Amino acid sequence: MIVKVLYFAAAEELASRKSEQMEVAEGDSVGQLAMRILRAHPALVPISGSVRFTVNLTVASEDTKLGDGDEVGVLPPVAGG
Amino acid sequence: MKKLARITARPINHSEILRAVKDDAAGGTVLFLGTIRDRNEGKAVESLEYEVYKEMAEKRMAELETMVMKKWPIKKIAMVHRYGRLSIGEVSVAVAVSSEHRAEAFEAGKFAIDTIKRTLPLWKKEKLKSGKEAWTKGVPIRR
Repeated sequence: MIVKVLYFAAAEELASRKSEQMEVAEGDSVGQLAMRILRAHPALVPISGSVRFTVNLTVASEDTKLGDGDEVGVLPPVAGG
Repeated sequence: MKKLARITARPINHSEILRAVKDDAAGGTVLFLGTIRDRNEGKAVESLEYEVYKEMAEKRMAELETMVMKKWPIKKIAMVHRYGRLSIGEVSVAVAVSSEHRAEAFEAGKFAIDTIKRTLPLWKKEKLKSGKEAWTKGVPIRR
């Protein structure tokens, strides 16, 4: 299965990309994908505690299961307004 | 009337927003405008660059409008957030609420702007007069 990962703001700068495709296995969770993202982009480690993940535009938890074609957002702390 | 864009790169026109909440049964309308300050944490600010996860922000804003309409007996609500580069004094966010009486318009409007700050996927990079640039401190996004 393939998911599309989108990086925003500080996460985009630290990962040096706006988006990428990543391979996940059937039944993989957001937490497992997060580990893989941090291994691929160690520069993200310092902000990993405050980063939140979204799946298909909804804030996800570590155990949210991923499906083929899902859009995963990597969101640093937000500051709208 | 054309639908108001919730997330836009264009300057925010507050009269369009007031028009969107106009209601003959309303006895009061509250308008909140967030504007770019010339200083932040004691440092002189040149401009702010907003980044947004547009699709998600639009979806969450629509959900927030529905939630506010359920929570308070208001007539109409409209909100717009801008992204891209903004200069001092420009409007970054606008919230308007119309209701029969003022109390619920103030309450609902305050709730809406507070919730926008915690739950919308938006980020801002501050460009200081000194030439330095940095993402402003935010809060982990709430569900």
